Amino acid sequence: MIKHLLFTFFFGLLWFPLIAQNNYPTSQEITQRLQKLNTNKVASLTSLTKSEGGQDIWVLKVGTGDFNNKPAIAVVGGAEGFHVLSVELALQFAERLINLHPEILEKTTFYIFPNMSPDAYNQYYNNLKYERRGNATKADQDRDGSINEDPYEDLNKDGLITQMRIESPLGDYVLHPTDARVLVKADRAKGEAGSYIVYSEGIDNDKDGKLNEDLEEGIAFNTNFTYKFPVFQPLAGDFPVSQKETRALVDYLFDQWNIFAFVTFSPANNLSEPLKFNEGDAKKRVLTSMLKKDIATNKMVSDLYNKTVSQKAFQQDNQGTDGDFFQWAYFHFGRYSFSTPGWWIPEVKAEKTEEKEEEKDKKPDAKEKPIVTKESNFMAWADQQNLKNIFVPWITVSHPDFPNQKVEVGGIKPFVMQNPPFNMVDSIAIQHTNFILKLAAMQPKLEFHNLKVEKLSGGLSRITADLFNNSPLPTHSELGEKSRWLRKIRIDITKDKKEVIAGNTIHLIDKLDAFETKTMSWIVKGSGNVEIKAGAAHCGIATLNTKL
Amino acid sequence: MNKSIYSFIISFLLSCFALSETNAQEKFFRAIGTPHQPKVEVSWNRYYTYEGVTEIMQKIAKAYPNLARLESIGKSVEGRNIWSIAISDFKTGNPDKKPAMYIDGNIHSNEIQGTEFSLYTAWYLTEMFDELDFIKELLQDKTFYIVPTINPDARDNFMKEPNTPHSPRSGMLVLDNDGDGEAGEDRFDDLNGDNHITLMIRKSTTGRFIKDPLDDRRLMEVGPEQKGEYEMLGFEGIDRDGDGRVNEDGIGYYDPNRDWGWKWQPDYVQRGAYKYPFSLPETRAVADFVMKHPNIAGAQSYHNYGGMILRGPGAEEDLDTYNKEDVKIYDAIGKKGEELIPGYKYLVVYKDLYSVFGGELDWFYGGRGIYTYTNELMVSYLYYHKNEGRANQEEELNVDKYLTFGDAFVPWVEYNHPQFGTIEVGGFKKNFSRAHPGFLLEQDAHRNMAFTIYHAYHTPKLSVLNVQEKSLGGGLKEITATIYNERLMPTHSSQDLKYNIERPDYVSISGANVVVGMVVENEDFNKVKEQVQNPSKISVANIPGLGTVKVRWIISGGGNYSIKVDSAKGGIVEWKK
Repeated sequence: MIKHLLFTFFFGLLWFPLIAQNNYPTSQEITQRLQKLNTNKVASLTSLTKSEGGQDIWVLKVGTGDFNNKPAIAVVGGAEGFHVLSVELALQFAERLINLHPEILEKTTFYIFPNMSPDAYNQYYNNLKYERRGNATKADQDRDGSINEDPYEDLNKDGLITQMRIESPLGDYVLHPTDARVLVKADRAKGEAGSYIVYSEGIDNDKDGKLNEDLEEGIAFNTNFTYKFPVFQPLAGDFPVSQKETRALVDYLFDQWNIFAFVTFSPANNLSEPLKFNEGDAKKRVLTSMLKKDIATNKMVSDLYNKTVSQKAFQQDNQGTDGDFFQWAYFHFGRYSFSTPGWWIPEVKAEKTEEKEEEKDKKPDAKEKPIVTKESNFMAWADQQNLKNIFVPWITVSHPDFPNQKVEVGGIKPFVMQNPPFNMVDSIAIQHTNFILKLAAMQPKLEFHNLKVEKLSGGLSRITADLFNNSPLPTHSELGEKSRWLRKIRIDITKDKKEVIAGNTIHLIDKLDAFETKTMSWIVKGSGNVEIKAGAAHCGIATLNTKL
Repeated sequence: MNKSIYSFIISFLLSCFALSETNAQEKFFRAIGTPHQPKVEVSWNRYYTYEGVTEIMQKIAKAYPNLARLESIGKSVEGRNIWSIAISDFKTGNPDKKPAMYIDGNIHSNEIQGTEFSLYTAWYLTEMFDELDFIKELLQDKTFYIVPTINPDARDNFMKEPNTPHSPRSGMLVLDNDGDGEAGEDRFDDLNGDNHITLMIRKSTTGRFIKDPLDDRRLMEVGPEQKGEYEMLGFEGIDRDGDGRVNEDGIGYYDPNRDWGWKWQPDYVQRGAYKYPFSLPETRAVADFVMKHPNIAGAQSYHNYGGMILRGPGAEEDLDTYNKEDVKIYDAIGKKGEELIPGYKYLVVYKDLYSVFGGELDWFYGGRGIYTYTNELMVSYLYYHKNEGRANQEEELNVDKYLTFGDAFVPWVEYNHPQFGTIEVGGFKKNFSRAHPGFLLEQDAHRNMAFTIYHAYHTPKLSVLNVQEKSLGGGLKEITATIYNERLMPTHSSQDLKYNIERPDYVSISGANVVVGMVVENEDFNKVKEQVQNPSKISVANIPGLGTVKVRWIISGGGNYSIKVDSAKGGIVEWKK
């Protein structure tokens, strides 16, 4: 044990300086780090395919011994190309797992897909930086018959696509009342007039009155799955699983029978709070609500997350979007599926001003609540953190589509609201690694208990044993019980069929609930060794040996 | 004649064949409606294996190089080519730009006759091109993409290996059906070695059946208070893996007709769904082909059986997809089908058959905006002009006795079964009930083809009806062109318009200096919609069936201009001053 700790310590020292860096990795650096991990004998790195943009779609499989028959967790990064943090979190998880926690592999196998959107991810390092989702395939986003005819334009030549605002009484935006750097929608319900029209930065190249509606990007990974596929919507395409990345991943996953859970780093969040249960939707044949038992599991895992990860939920209102990966993994693949952005902008409380006595007496709802938008909260947080380099001051540009109007370009820089400054990433990665390791410790675990062999007359024996799922997780999600893509629990007794008088040599049971026990018994003839095996790849296999 | 004979001489045998063909013409008298002197001889009263199908297609393509083009659209699970034959008059324009009809068969491997029906269509069209003005004009205007079997592997398995009338249905992938971690470990066993999987029955004191004393082929259920003599044990098989069940894990199972990309649902909702839409190579090949051929405006898929002309939706949840305007067109063609194919009924899948998510016809229509039918070939009506329903045992025994004289039934024979002991094996053969008997095949093929020809005929046919010029003074002229679609289908179904599935139609003018361009929405009241960008190429959302679209340009100067209509599903039409 001490030896192990020492090893870990020294190895840790050796390892950390090597990854010291000050920004999110380039695709090349990701590959190098994966290749380095691949030199370890518990890891094997495979390229599932190359994207249209020529990027490898990597999977790092980490396990020891009979790793295909140990329950496994799949960790997915890069579900969205602009979410560069997610890639680093998946990578660091792999590095910390292999270098610091290899003992976990005795029980659990891991599949790490560090970056599912490499084409879009590369925009982070492009000369023109913007928050990109789509891959490098050609797609007619506005379905008008011409492809990519209206992309962004960098009007202020700063290498970034930010916002564009046009002073106009026709607009539906106003300056934010407490932070004039950002804009907020005019409150029409209160009769508020607008003063700005807001667009993303660009020109109406095809003169159709819409700006930047046919971007130079293809299909987004996180819209391309079968669950609630947003057919014909921009970035989604004509049918689900149409892209190389998606197909390669799904084809691979269907061959890995041992995955019991997914942890996806993506904008959706069902870890700060579990998904909501809707009885009506859970009863329909086309499900749109998680099933009841699975919500309870989600709740339990969510509690674990909130205990392990220090950040408190704020504005976490995305619990899945149409065609995304994390919902697919549950609704169409039947596995426990969890997603978290890993990081979000914390709530910035307005500084308390001393309240006057008479104001205190007013009813609370009569007071004007300060308007807090994602943008204003971000700016307040950035100020608090003294962050530079997150905002482009508004400057006036001349714009061909608005010849006699004041057009300004500026606003919050791309990426900074989704991805923290890189120096914050290590602590986020440590906490999330810990969470995944704790989730692994909860995995379904089949055990045999209370073995009894009773001798009956005439050379017959009755073998009785309890099969126990020693885990707070059911062996199958409630939805997974219905799916053909999760195996049943199979119990084999190694005895000639003729010598098994009662009971079959092969027996299948649908599932075991959390901490559930099932008593099995056989009546067999003769003597010698008997081996009984029970399980399935995703819940592990228990073995029992006895002598008659 | 000599020339044609010499071209046929490859071997002694072939030359004999050619000579006997010469003689044959003197012996025969033309029957109306059938190619009389076909270059490609095919018997339409039997079924063809994959090899046979391929050979017929190759012969057609070779005999009619200006009308038929053979192409592999992809490979099956076991690596067979999935053949498509494009039929069109190649001398009158690019076949891939003409309005097209897509036809396939045999998606369910045991539903074999769709292949022969498709092949018959290819054969008939090519052989009749020079004989009938109607067919000639049809192939000048249209293209038929015919893919006789989109499940070639399991077609051959159905024919060559022991099967029931209902198996394999899927393709040749072998999955784990009972969830025990092993795939295909307990398949049918052809106990009596006759290449048919029939039934197993056993004498039993608690059995509920007796053999009919007047017809021992027939098992009758006894009354509730009566004692029977036989029990039913299911299809021929033995328990191979020792789990106490027989035939529980065979080929497949999955359903290629649940593998399509419109409102697809996974296996727990829609039994038979595979991994995701187009996760099977065969359906993927068809989808790729359709995506590459936006000129396909109509489609037909052949199944069996029951005598149905089906349209979607496949599931009630998808009811909204099929809107009024499109249903009108479906109804017009479908009802004509009922007339052309007596015994067949025009029906809607979700309410008249059963619920299907991810079916082929729903993707063709929902996902591509193509008007599509599925025909369930073969119907009891064809036997005695009565509709006795599917699998009517009385009728089938009668047919076997009086029309096929015992050819359809395997008599009961005793067999010593390792688990069941002494049993009897027998019953209807795999190629009866779902498949037409030979003598009914050709007529039904012809009638179903006639339905697809009617369907194809009503894909859009565009023309520039007239072009009016008006002087506006100052050297400006106003040109108004009327584009006419003389058939039932619009260039964009309303499903297509809802999602902009296919690009708009373009009406463009060249040889003129265009100042302004517009679509005329109402000529009488001069309601127009200007197109600011690129006004010489006007985008038109749709050209309705049996309707017109007017396009107007204001040009300066200009002499001999020309106008071009370019529609993905309506073809290309040019007009010159």
